[in-house]
Order: sequence, then structure tokens, then C-alpha cells
Amino acid sequence: MFLTDREKRMLDGEMGYPIQKGMQIMTVLGESFGAERMVDVSSAHMPGASIMLLGRAGMAFVEEMAAKGGQFRTFTTTNPTSCDDTLWEKLGIGRDIVDLQARLTAAYQKLGAITCATCTPYFTGNAPRLGEHAAWGESSAVVYANSVLGARTNREGGPTALASSLTGKAPAYGMHLPENRCGRLLVHVTRPISGIFGYGSLGYHVGAVAGQLTPVFSGIPANVSFDELKSLGSALATSGAVSLFHAAGITPEAPTLEAAFGGKKPETELEYTAQDERAAIEHLNLEKSDDVDWVYLGCPHCSILEVRDIARALAGRKVHPEVELWVNTSTAVRTLARHMGYAAAIEEAGGLIVCDTCPAHTPSREMAKKQGYRTLTTDSAKMAHYVAGEVGFPTHYGSTEKVIAAAISKRWEG
Amino acid sequence: METITLKGRKVVPGRARGEAVVTTEPVSFIGGVDPLTGLVTEPGHQLEGVCLAGKVLVYPTGKGSTGGSYRIYDMAVHGTGPVAFVQLQSEPIATIGAIMGNMPVVDALDRNPLEVIATGDTVEVDADRGLVIVTPKKRTGPARP
Repeated sequence: MFLTDREKRMLDGEMGYPIQKGMQIMTVLGESFGAERMVDVSSAHMPGASIMLLGRAGMAFVEEMAAKGGQFRTFTTTNPTSCDDTLWEKLGIGRDIVDLQARLTAAYQKLGAITCATCTPYFTGNAPRLGEHAAWGESSAVVYANSVLGARTNREGGPTALASSLTGKAPAYGMHLPENRCGRLLVHVTRPISGIFGYGSLGYHVGAVAGQLTPVFSGIPANVSFDELKSLGSALATSGAVSLFHAAGITPEAPTLEAAFGGKKPETELEYTAQDERAAIEHLNLEKSDDVDWVYLGCPHCSILEVRDIARALAGRKVHPEVELWVNTSTAVRTLARHMGYAAAIEEAGGLIVCDTCPAHTPSREMAKKQGYRTLTTDSAKMAHYVAGEVGFPTHYGSTEKVIAAAISKRWEG
Repeated sequence: METITLKGRKVVPGRARGEAVVTTEPVSFIGGVDPLTGLVTEPGHQLEGVCLAGKVLVYPTGKGSTGGSYRIYDMAVHGTGPVAFVQLQSEPIATIGAIMGNMPVVDALDRNPLEVIATGDTVEVDADRGLVIVTPKKRTGPARP
């Protein structure tokens, strides 16, 4: 792998231990993927910001980098944490978790991160432009950055997002190279699809087929919302390891179907059928009973428009007293939702706007035991998948409207 | 005991030996594996309920959450994770976790490891030389997971 003189000095330790360690990690990674050089990156997003996912070894690594004077050279934002530090008691999260999390968040702040604690950092100002090199983790955000914004990032894990932030570099392989950004798999969408649920089911089906391949969708309507594209991308990166998708006529690198494939022919072609959709839903809607106790909206974290629509849907209705409704977003969006009156409307109906975390990042097993939850009801394919595997209880999975109706009635209309 | 040697590409250097656990499905370490026990927890996965601690995981590739890198690192440090990965095609999240945890990884082997290696075989991974040396468990049927 070619390194400039300055990059060699970084690797030799002339610029301090954190930069040296960062360069070491990235040269091993770069060599294993055949990178010939480094690229400069200006934007990073840090997964592993929750103590629940980081583990003790990861925590020690981040704290060591901060203690040894590491300083981020990029605009670096952070992923959700293990708690909402204004609501933790009400949510059933222990004080020990809150304290340990505060220590980790302080370490990231010392390193220079903007600790926005969200999986949708593009809604809080981290939005690399078309063609810009970036180092993002958080699988859903990686897909959004590559596909909707047109930035260039691989799927970074916590250690390499940290390494890139410390050095301002990333190994040039995979999604950084234009030749690897062409579509490989053509997906015909011939039936009407809408909402977080509709696009999530599509993504969950296609991700499992695609693996690491870049899918190209034909037939996505021009009025698709950015929330729907966020849902599609998050599900593609749940059942698969997709980094990028194109939607012909919609996303920036796919003005046409031909452009999306870089003039080549698709290797595989499929049509998304009603049967595929049913299979994806059945795989995620695993809860047998119709009883509802914990209802979750906001995976990935809600945009201000989603919060508005939930507030409108709840107008004049009351969440069932034995149901907890979480509407999850970032502190930044919750502040705006307060300003707009949406937060008051959701709270008036008995829902909670929970920030900086989600059931996949909190100590959900202990919390569920304490709160008496035995299932989760959600409109998100990604959340349904991870709650089943990570927390260990099955989910109801359906449309946003159906999920809100279940929060009111405490019944899942199977 | 007769051995089978597969030749491939070093992804992460190092050497390790263990019993093979083989699956034809991709694996995510977040929402898929319990970090304290090494048990696979993803509902409906071929390996659901199987323990990965101390094993050589033979699988097509990773998938899902980018939180997997720190999870793999933490499991490597605490001895609850696999000791090596043998993959069809590497991807960054598992590779980064393996680099941090000093776990050898090889991919792109000259024969399909998902067909040649069976769960229970003893596997030595010598990533520095790109070799996977398989000592088959005594078996009567074909080498299938």
C-alpha cells in the first residue's frame, strides 16, 4: 500500500500514539482489501457509542485514545447511546448504565466528536456531499450517505471510524472507488409501496438476496420521501451487508437505469412480488399473541416530518394506560418538535419522545423485565430483526398506522 | 489422520486452531450472537443455539450492524468468541473486529470451505501462509453442515 511521506510519519508515531494506532488499524484493513493508497476524509460517523454494544474492551480502547491526547480531524458525529439521560428513570434504565455511558460520551467529546447520539446524523448537519470521501459506521447511515447523499464510505466499524477521525484518512477500497459503485442486481418494483413498513419490507427481502452486492431499483416513484429511502436502506443493511443502492431517476448516481449500472448488464434480475413481501413480513412478525405492551416508532430515528405525522395521528386519541409508546429521535429533533408543539401533542396522548437511544442500544433485557414488557410492536424491519436476536423477544411488525392503532387499543389486529 | 489443505488469501494475520462450526448463512454479531456466552441467538438462523466460543467459524460473509466490530473484539478479549474466521468473501465489519482482537481470517480459498469442512472437524488456520488445514471428524455421510 502506498503511503505519502506524511502518512508514513503518522504510522511511525511521529505525530503521537493515537494517530499511529489509527494508521496501523487502517493499513492492516487496507491491505486485506487490496487498497493501494489512503484517501482524505472530512466526515465520520461513529458506531459503538453505546456502552451496550462497545463492551469493556472497546470502552478501554476509546478511553485510551482520549487519554493519550487523540484529537479528531474530521466532522465526527456519534451513534445512539445506551440511555436517554433525561428519561432514564421512567424508562427503567439503571443509574449505573447512565454513569458509565456519561464517561464514554465524555471521552468522545474530549476527542472532538459532536455527540448528537443519533443513527440519523444527516438530520443534524453531518451531510457529506456528492463524491466526498467519508468514514461512516451505523449500517443504515452508511447506506443513506452512499445512496441518497452520494458520498463515498465503506461500512466502518467503531475502531476504523475512530481511526479515520484521528487521522483524517481512510484506505481507498470498496465504495471509495467509482468502479465499485455500479449496480450489480436489478430489482423491479411493479406494485405500489409506501411508508416505513412498505419500504422496510422491500429492503429486508432484497438485502438477503443482495448480500454485499449493490442493488438498483426500478419503479420507485418520484415522490418517494427521504424517510422511506432511510427505511429501505436500513433494512437492506439488516438482512444483508449492502453499502449502497441506486433508485433509477431518484438517487444522485442513478439519473437513468443505464447510468446506475455503469453501462454494464445486471448480473441478476428479480421482481419484488406480493409473495416476497408476505415472506419478509412473516419472518419479522413473529409474536403469536395479539397482546401489545411496548410500542416503538423511530428506527432509524424519526425525522421532524415523521414526528409531525405521529403527533397528527395521535390527535384526540389516548395511548392505552398499560402500553408504553416510544417515539425515538435525536435531541436535536426533539428540541425542534418541542418548538413546533409536536412533542406536547405526543406527550398529551400518553406517548414518550425518547432521545439518544433505542431498544437495540439500551439494556433492554433488564428494562423489559422491570417494566413487564414481553414483546415489541414496531413498523421498522430493522428494529423487529434486532430485538428478536439481541433482546430475545418476538415482535409485531406492521404499518405505522397499525402500530399506532395498537398503542391505543393494546391489541394487534393480525 | 488424513488432512485436507485449502489455500486462500490472508485477510488478517495469525494462527489458530479449533473445532469448526459451519453455516451457509451470513452472520451478524449484533442481534445474532450473545457476547457473554457465544451462543447464536438470531431466530431461524442455521446456527441458532450453537456456541461459537473457541470455534473456527466457517461462513460465507458478515452482514448487518456495524456495531459488530467492537462486539467481535470484546468477545475475543474475553474468550467467548470464535478463534478464527474462514470466509468465502471478507467484509469490513468482521475484519475490523478480527484485527482488533488478533484473530486470523482467511477467505477466497481454492475449494469451497462450506462444502469441504463440516461442523466438528478440527481446523487449523494459518493466515500468514493463507492455509486452512482440516482434520475431518470420523464421519459416515458426506461433508455437509
